[in-house]
Amino acid sequence: MSLPSWVDPVARYVLETGLKNTLRMAGLAVLGSAVVGIVLGTLLTVRFWPSRALIRLYVEVWRGLPIIVTIFLIYFALPSVGVRFTAFDAATIGLTLWGSAQVAEATRGAVQSIPREQHEAAAALGFGWVGRHAFVILPQALRRLLPPMVSLLANVIQNTTIAAVIGVAEVLETGNRQVERLTYTTFESHAFEIFAGVMAIFFVISFPLTLLARHLERRLVS
Amino acid sequence: MIVASIDWGFIWDHLPELLRGLRRTLEVSGIAIVGAFAIGLVLGAVRAYRVPVFSQLAAVYVEVIRNTPILVQIFFIFYGLPQFGIRLTPYTTAWLSVMIWGGAFNTENFRAGFGAVPARYREGAAALGFGSLATFFNIVLPIGGRIALPSSINTYISVLKNTSLMTAIGFPELTNVARSIAAVTFRDAEMLLVTAVIYLALVWTLSAAIRLLEGHLALPEDVR
Repeated sequence: MSLPSWVDPVARYVLETGLKNTLRMAGLAVLGSAVVGIVLGTLLTVRFWPSRALIRLYVEVWRGLPIIVTIFLIYFALPSVGVRFTAFDAATIGLTLWGSAQVAEATRGAVQSIPREQHEAAAALGFGWVGRHAFVILPQALRRLLPPMVSLLANVIQNTTIAAVIGVAEVLETGNRQVERLTYTTFESHAFEIFAGVMAIFFVISFPLTLLARHLERRLVS
Repeated sequence: MIVASIDWGFIWDHLPELLRGLRRTLEVSGIAIVGAFAIGLVLGAVRAYRVPVFSQLAAVYVEVIRNTPILVQIFFIFYGLPQFGIRLTPYTTAWLSVMIWGGAFNTENFRAGFGAVPARYREGAAALGFGSLATFFNIVLPIGGRIALPSSINTYISVLKNTSLMTAIGFPELTNVARSIAAVTFRDAEMLLVTAVIYLALVWTLSAAIRLLEGHLALPEDVR
């Protein structure tokens, strides 16, 4: 049994252009989220109310807004104050704001779960605040951060599809363009097969990550 | 700065339109939340009690929905199903897709909640002569439902936020209305800021409700 002739060009466009953009965007957003989130989450444990209030506001705003609204704000509202981003960059920044809020919250919990003795021992060895956190506390907290980071990766990969709404050629948008192309050129719709294929692509990526996160979580508890 | 250049009169003039969009957001969310509650309750019990065949089917449903993007699910329902003669309006697609999505997450919430009911409570019920159905309705459901409540409200908040994706299929909910007004007036910043404030007000209120409920509904032995 061979596949219908329309499948090959569609699959190539979705995988070569779409999947590449999806993975590039997800990679950048997760990296950015990890860096910003871990710094903000660690600072969230410092007992100084003005910084805590500001970081809290950051976390609650970007966690509270639908991601599509955040991306719209960056892509459509910022140009009115002279700040312009490409659709790809706007979506990546939007995902990073959302992701970093998630990481900050997880980091706060992970840092606070490290016993106070670890802080005291590090201080006794002459570490300052930065050295204490960078070399003693965060390496231990990272163990706890690993499962939520894997879940975040799966979620960010799924949420890159929102970039389709502002026209970024990620997996969903490339699939959508192919649906339209086939409809106009062959007068028959292949939306069902193509969107089912798009779902399959995401499932194949996301399901192993979900299982991995669950496995890491369980290992942490025991 | 941004705030100083905002045209408040413009926002005021378009507020009624935005509020009509908000009403559709809330209506669609409301229907989806009721449906997701029912799905979660039934399938959560099916999963927790490992009802043969149905439990496995529910597991497949949960994993497929949780591991594929909701926007693709929406496109699949709205653009894919018509190929088989199933044509849904944007309105039906809106509540149906977030209901299916929320139901999957809620199945997990309730499965975990029912699973967390201590076995000794069920043993106590059995010792008092309760049958398995009576045990479920009198012991497992009220206690497990309480345990599942905070996480299920979190799911409902996500359901509400996800209705904003319906802008992609042209359903005039809050986000879509804001974009439509901006498209003809070029006041993107004003419209999006108001929209953001409305979403935050809704989400923060619901989150505060969770924290209140968590304290109120905590099981007595958890309150130390």
